[in-house]
Amino acid sequence: MAAKGKAQQPAVIHKVIMVGSGGVGKSALTLQFMYDEFVEDYEPTKADSYRKKVVLDGEDVQIDILDTAGQEDYAAIRDNYFRSGEGFLCVFSITEQESFQATAEFREQILRVKSDENIPFLLVGNKADLEDKRQVSIEEATQRAQQWNVQYVETSAKTRANVDKVFFDLMRAIRSRKMENAKQSNGKKNKKDKKKKCIIL
Amino acid sequence: MSVEPPLVTGISPKEGPPGTRVTIRGENLGAEPKDLIGLKICGVDCYLSAEWKSPNKIIARTGPGKGKGDIVVTTKSAGTGTCTVGFRGYFVQTGPLQESAIWIDESQTLDRLGRGRASSPVVSRDFENPLGLSDEGNQGKYAEDILLEIFPEGSGDTKLENFDSAWFLLENHHGAGFDDLKAGLQYLKRNSGRQKEGPLAFVKTNLSTFMDCQETMRTMHEELIRDIQANDGSSITYQLENLLRDANKTADSLFQDVLGRKDRADSTRNALSVLQRFKFLFNLPCNMEKNIKKGDYDMVINDYGRVRSLFKDTDIAVFKKVYEEVERRVADFREMLHKKLLELPSTLDEQKKLVRYLVELESAGDPAWECLSNQQQWLLQLLTDCKTGHMDTGDKSFMLPQVETEAPPTPSQRIAVPGFSLTSGFKTGKNHSFSSTQSPEQAGWKFKTPQRVLFVEELTDILTESFPDFWKLGQAYFSGNLILRETERIQKIDTSKHVEFKKMASDVIQLFSNLMRAAFLPESLENIDPALRKTFGEWSESKHDTRGAWLPHCVRYIRSCVGALSNLDLPEECLNICQELAFDMRTHCMVTLLKQAIQDMKNLHQRESWNVDTDDVCGGITQLPLLFENIVNETIQHLHEVVMKLKPGETNLFDQRDVQIEATALCTQLVKEFSNCIEKLAFKGDTLKPKKQTQSSSVSAEEETQEEKVPAYDKRLLIMLSNCNHTIQRAIPRITENMDKHQYPETEKIAQEAISAFQEVDEKLFEAYVEEKSNPIIGALEQNMYAGRFNWDECLKPVGVRSYLKEALMGLIRVHAEVFAISPVLVTRILTRVIVAVSEEVARLILCVETFNLNGALQARLELITLQDAVALYATDESSEAVQEALDYLPELKSEDKRFLEDLINNFKTRMKFQLMCFKSDPVLRGPAA
Repeated sequence: MAAKGKAQQPAVIHKVIMVGSGGVGKSALTLQFMYDEFVEDYEPTKADSYRKKVVLDGEDVQIDILDTAGQEDYAAIRDNYFRSGEGFLCVFSITEQESFQATAEFREQILRVKSDENIPFLLVGNKADLEDKRQVSIEEATQRAQQWNVQYVETSAKTRANVDKVFFDLMRAIRSRKMENAKQSNGKKNKKDKKKKCIIL
Repeated sequence: MSVEPPLVTGISPKEGPPGTRVTIRGENLGAEPKDLIGLKICGVDCYLSAEWKSPNKIIARTGPGKGKGDIVVTTKSAGTGTCTVGFRGYFVQTGPLQESAIWIDESQTLDRLGRGRASSPVVSRDFENPLGLSDEGNQGKYAEDILLEIFPEGSGDTKLENFDSAWFLLENHHGAGFDDLKAGLQYLKRNSGRQKEGPLAFVKTNLSTFMDCQETMRTMHEELIRDIQANDGSSITYQLENLLRDANKTADSLFQDVLGRKDRADSTRNALSVLQRFKFLFNLPCNMEKNIKKGDYDMVINDYGRVRSLFKDTDIAVFKKVYEEVERRVADFREMLHKKLLELPSTLDEQKKLVRYLVELESAGDPAWECLSNQQQWLLQLLTDCKTGHMDTGDKSFMLPQVETEAPPTPSQRIAVPGFSLTSGFKTGKNHSFSSTQSPEQAGWKFKTPQRVLFVEELTDILTESFPDFWKLGQAYFSGNLILRETERIQKIDTSKHVEFKKMASDVIQLFSNLMRAAFLPESLENIDPALRKTFGEWSESKHDTRGAWLPHCVRYIRSCVGALSNLDLPEECLNICQELAFDMRTHCMVTLLKQAIQDMKNLHQRESWNVDTDDVCGGITQLPLLFENIVNETIQHLHEVVMKLKPGETNLFDQRDVQIEATALCTQLVKEFSNCIEKLAFKGDTLKPKKQTQSSSVSAEEETQEEKVPAYDKRLLIMLSNCNHTIQRAIPRITENMDKHQYPETEKIAQEAISAFQEVDEKLFEAYVEEKSNPIIGALEQNMYAGRFNWDECLKPVGVRSYLKEALMGLIRVHAEVFAISPVLVTRILTRVIVAVSEEVARLILCVETFNLNGALQARLELITLQDAVALYATDESSEAVQEALDYLPELKSEDKRFLEDLINNFKTRMKFQLMCFKSDPVLRGPAA
């Protein structure tokens, strides 16, 4: 039965990784997206895995979300996780300047691991419902996004504002990226393989 | 509720060691906590730790699963589910220096450490970190299974053949920079170079240790030399030996005293016990006496056994004497036990105990067998005594019935009477028969349980109480339970006696059966030698009919007795005797009861009260049909209770063809008897009662009033006709149904025969009644027609219907009223016949007229048409044909007279309106109110 269930699942899987400092609401966004559920109590995440079927522009796909730990304690294992990601939601809290600053480090780490400037990536300013406690201005964030050549979206896991949007936008980016790769793959394949081997050695 | 299976779409965290608390999220994870019936993570059942939070969330702890695996949720409502995410379990090895909250099994790690050090600490340490690079720490290492994926063939262990350097580097130094790795390579080279230098290098590096060793060995050598010199050359061990020997001597002397005392104590104890034994012997006769008196037989036997084993073969005179004394007493004791054993009545346990004592005392013969045969004799005697006793009292009370009636019935008898009776209605019937046919003295019997019934009760009691003990004792005897010691007893269980025992048992049963048969079924003993038969008792037949009512009671006793016996695992032939007896008794009971019911039925006519109850549908009936139905149904019911209801092991009475035929015949007779009763009442009702008056001297006032109520012949005919009709229509089907319910055979046949009998009676009654009724009307017709010297030929112009016809019509109305009062259903049947008779007579009279003048013809036509019209509803082909024939005979009517005739008819109809109304519609439809 399990085998049958798996066979029915769409083949296309988009692997999304949630990154960002501790407590910015990565898990909250994920749970809101997955289960329409807002979790009030805070419990630091280690590494959570979610996968479900969604309809992306009329096409059945699966979204695989890896919800990572924001805490510095787990910084060392992040590299491994990042490697498997196809797209990243880099989350910060608009009520916390430090979390915004930390996004630069995450971006750097991702680029280093993936060694790809155009990796699908969204800058997400969460907790938009707490406007009165805002520390990071929209301009500031937008500017950084432009600098990175990525999209900036403000969300609220509590009100579900823009939650679906960030995931679906990212999936679209991943999809178009995959199609691009597919076109190029014929020419690049060998070169890429060699390159990879060099890294290992 | 959705029928989609559970689907796990989220896991938090996605990996961890055993015992990790995980939050499982998904869809359809169960409607309620109870719905969740299974949870497996990585193939390990975690159901016990699972905590259902919502249909989307479960919290659980992982088990000892290793590697990546599925999370499978099973619910009652939707079955086993699937998952899109998995959990990866891994084990964390706690190092020997790490703090841990739990106890760690260190045997593996420690063992490895110990062995490593013993063999070659340097090499092993080198192997742990051959590159000499410092670790980055635990975190960030590649897990083993990931490496396995990359290098399926390799291994990271430097000591293994399939060692893969890439694996090793990734595993241990994947964070190290290129320079570091280069330095590591240098280090490795250096190390391997050093290893090649071999033992010399080893000695060099550990030179100080070698020096230490040499120093220590030299010191030891010097010490040894010094010791030998101090002891003048003799060995150190010799001195030690001497010292030990001395110590042993001293210890011996210390314990000499103690050991000696112990020896003395032992010998004293021995002497005392010998004395004790002698004392026991000398006191034994006394003690035995005492214990026997106390009833403590076990003690006596025990003591005797001990004495025998001690002194049986003694040579000492005194002992011999005392032992003989003991033997004598034991013999007496044996004798006493024996007597006691043969004393009856006694309980099974008591007998078993006594037999065992005797066996243990090794008494001569076979006490158990003696006991058995004694008991059988006793049982036979008991049964015979019972018979004799009851026959004596029976005879006595028969001679002196007064004495018997004076004695108040015991409570048990009082209870027994209502327990069986055919209900009160039946009893009142019996009262009649008693008071009318028997002398007052004999009537007293009814209040006293008959002697025979008492006899049955007692006989069955004796058998059910005493026989099982006898049988069980026998069983115990043959199974060897009575004999405790195995050895020489085996041959004592004499199998040849088994047959004899069976014979004894069946003798008892046979006697029982014969006694019973003598009392109730003497005819079944006819083929037995008369002399022998006499011993079973001959019961006088005088009170035969009294017994009928008691029979079911007796049958119940016998059956319960037989039931008790059949539980005993008796041999086939004994059981057969019992079963046959029970079967015969049941048959006998059934036949007697049915015969009695028939007798009651014969006497039923005496109970007719002639009170007619009107019934809407079937017409009026008297009490009689209901009484008839009651008797039959009660008999059936009663028989069912006692005779039909089968106990296990009993055969159905109707399985035997002859019994069945007899039963059917009796049933038929019973039902038919009522038709005789009805007939008798109808035709001789008036003669029956006075006859009885002369017969019985004491007639109650009630009967006298009844006497006055006996109606006239025609009325009786009518009432009985209605009764008969009711019986055919209602009672017989009901009885048949009841019989069917109680599984009587051939009920169809019984019912058919009964119905035909009733129909015959019905026909007879009907003819008689019709004749009775139509005769006066018809007889009056001719006379009245020609009253006043009427002549058809000289007739004046008619003024209306003449009175002879009116009178005839009035007569018909009277019949109608009479029948209607009793039974509306019979009206049509009777009136049709009477009217046919009347019409024929009128027609005959008209046909006999020779000449009519015109007026006469008109008169006749008028009267004929009037008659035809009046009784149109009850007209039959016969009657209308007769009238039509008469009409045709009349001369043709003139047209001007037709008008006149119609006027006259209408005139008659108006004037006789109320009288004619009687014939206008079916009385049944009008209902009794009209």
